[in-house]
Amino acid sequence: MTTVKTESLRMQLDRSANVRSIIKQFYIFVVLVLIVLTFSVMKLDQGGIFDRGQFLSPDSIINLLRSAVPILTLSGAFTLLMISGHIDLSVGSAMSLSAVVYAWMVLNGYSFLPAFVVTLILGCGLGFINGYLVTKLRITPVIATLVTLSAFKGLALLIVPDGLSAIKGSAGIVMPDWINFYARREVFLGLPWAFWVAVFVIILLTILQRRTILGKYAAAIGGNRLAAELSGINAVKMVWLLYIIVGFFAALAGLARASYMSLGDPLSGDGMEMDAIIAVLLGGTAFSGGEGSVAKTVVGALIVICVTIGLMTVIPAYWQTVAKGTVLITAVVLNHLLVQDKINA
Amino acid sequence: MQAKEIKHLRKPLMVGKLSDESFITLFMLGILAIVFAIASAIVPNFYTVQNMLNLVTNNWFVIILGIGVTFVLITGNYDMSVGGNIALTGVLSVYFCQGANVSQNTLANGLGLPYLVAVGLALLCAMGVGAVNAFFIAKLKVPSIIVTLGTMMLARGAAQVITQGAQRNTSLPDAFGVLGSLGIPDTSIRISVLVMITLIIVAYIFEKKTVFARRIYLIGANREAARLSGINVGKYLTALYILSGLLAGITGILLASEFKAGVSSRAMGYEFDALVIALLGGVSITGGFGSVLGMFVGAIILSVVTSAATGMLLSPDWQFTLKASVTFIAILAQRFALDKRKA
Repeated sequence: MTTVKTESLRMQLDRSANVRSIIKQFYIFVVLVLIVLTFSVMKLDQGGIFDRGQFLSPDSIINLLRSAVPILTLSGAFTLLMISGHIDLSVGSAMSLSAVVYAWMVLNGYSFLPAFVVTLILGCGLGFINGYLVTKLRITPVIATLVTLSAFKGLALLIVPDGLSAIKGSAGIVMPDWINFYARREVFLGLPWAFWVAVFVIILLTILQRRTILGKYAAAIGGNRLAAELSGINAVKMVWLLYIIVGFFAALAGLARASYMSLGDPLSGDGMEMDAIIAVLLGGTAFSGGEGSVAKTVVGALIVICVTIGLMTVIPAYWQTVAKGTVLITAVVLNHLLVQDKINA
Repeated sequence: MQAKEIKHLRKPLMVGKLSDESFITLFMLGILAIVFAIASAIVPNFYTVQNMLNLVTNNWFVIILGIGVTFVLITGNYDMSVGGNIALTGVLSVYFCQGANVSQNTLANGLGLPYLVAVGLALLCAMGVGAVNAFFIAKLKVPSIIVTLGTMMLARGAAQVITQGAQRNTSLPDAFGVLGSLGIPDTSIRISVLVMITLIIVAYIFEKKTVFARRIYLIGANREAARLSGINVGKYLTALYILSGLLAGITGILLASEFKAGVSSRAMGYEFDALVIALLGGVSITGGFGSVLGMFVGAIILSVVTSAATGMLLSPDWQFTLKASVTFIAILAQRFALDKRKA
């Protein structure tokens, strides 16, 4: 009798665990679809669903995807880092600094390739610094990257000459018009190089996470660092490498932003860390590390962009911060309810 | 071997020996003296009574915030919502106070409450933000950094919504500006500075003399051990976050009164400054260690460095890099000093 009872109880538990895992697997897609649906029916009285000016009109979709380039470029690497249980709050500043450096080099007559390469190397350098502070000097990631957030932002502001708000063409020098080819000129399906690079980055990082030891090691370190180290993983080297990768992609994102705006704005990356964190948490990566998925972060990133762009069309700009804060808190709670529980159990 | 271990265990209990916290505070005081000497030597007009007074009085808002942030940090948590909370409380106090239906302009119309009621309600809202933080951190056990960054956005966002992204500064009663402008004549000492000094003294006594405060240290040092020894960790965290919210609220009301305006972009980045001065004052990043007095010293160090930079006519853009470098050096210096002492 009792065995039967426990058996049925266990089956019930199994079923509820099953349901929960299915919800966990797919809820984010449902959320994305719901958000897109909401925004696309919102102004239906003014025209058909795919008409000009609507959320789902081709122009609007292309615009949305172009704006999504920085976060798509960045959030994959950010996911890997968070899977390893670390965080990088300086990505926004690293983006700004890269944007400023890239714009400065283009403005001062360097051609595309050197400017591109130097900016990416700079990004790796910034990641290297973060990695050094966290792994070698053992400063808590939050504090270390908050400090570098301030430092990178300061550097970006210092590079911009006094009296100007950004690196841009002036009476003396003209910004070459090829600067926005990378993020604006249509190459395929109406979308620019930057977007296709971002898609490639996502595919690359998904493969890196699923098929190489980098992903496995990151999860192992995030799950239980001591166990990972005892089984022979060089955690210091791994985490350092992850910080460098994040720095690299932050630079790539910053470069895309600079190219998109045709100028180097030292504040252009502000708040990017929040967007990235929201995307990663929505994607179901545990905040404490150990599990997560690059592919799902992409869905999270799309949600962030849809909300940002979609809200702009329906409510005044000053609602933006509240909206983003709400999305963040919701993401945290959802993440907590669906992910954290499983770890505790 | 065993004897050595026991001796090692007994070390912190020895009477008459300086505690590690006092040691770090004194250490940072020494650093302050050095930094101040250097600044006096190279910056013209730095070594004057008026300037020294300004170093303390110009930073009252960060120091008040620092008290709450220090205690929260000692438990091993962060409070990044204080900056947004200041903006929200300031804007709310203005909104509650503005006359009702006095103008066509929405930004000039408020609720028309008496000043004291307005302040009380605004403070309640500030504590509410703290309570929301506490709910997520203590009940749901979500990492504090992420929650408080979220509530920072919510609070600042709410301030932006109320002011429509700008500020509210019209149709305010005369009583509104009194709190922020009253002070000792011919000095930079205003009510806000006196509030800061009072709060520092109260916090110091609270930290050293009450069981509540000593338990905060235990929570920070080892949360599990604290729980097992019968401390209701959630209750303590809740109290501290509400306290931090209240302090941010007081700052917000004083700032709003000083400028006679509720500005939605007020106190941008203050949460970082409050964290920086706590770290400069020797509060440990990992919790369980630190003191309000140290935080005060840290605030003065930061103030010396930034005002010296201004005195040397560096562009304001330097402040970010400067703050980062100073914090970074301080963290390393303190760790080095503590390691030397323990060795």
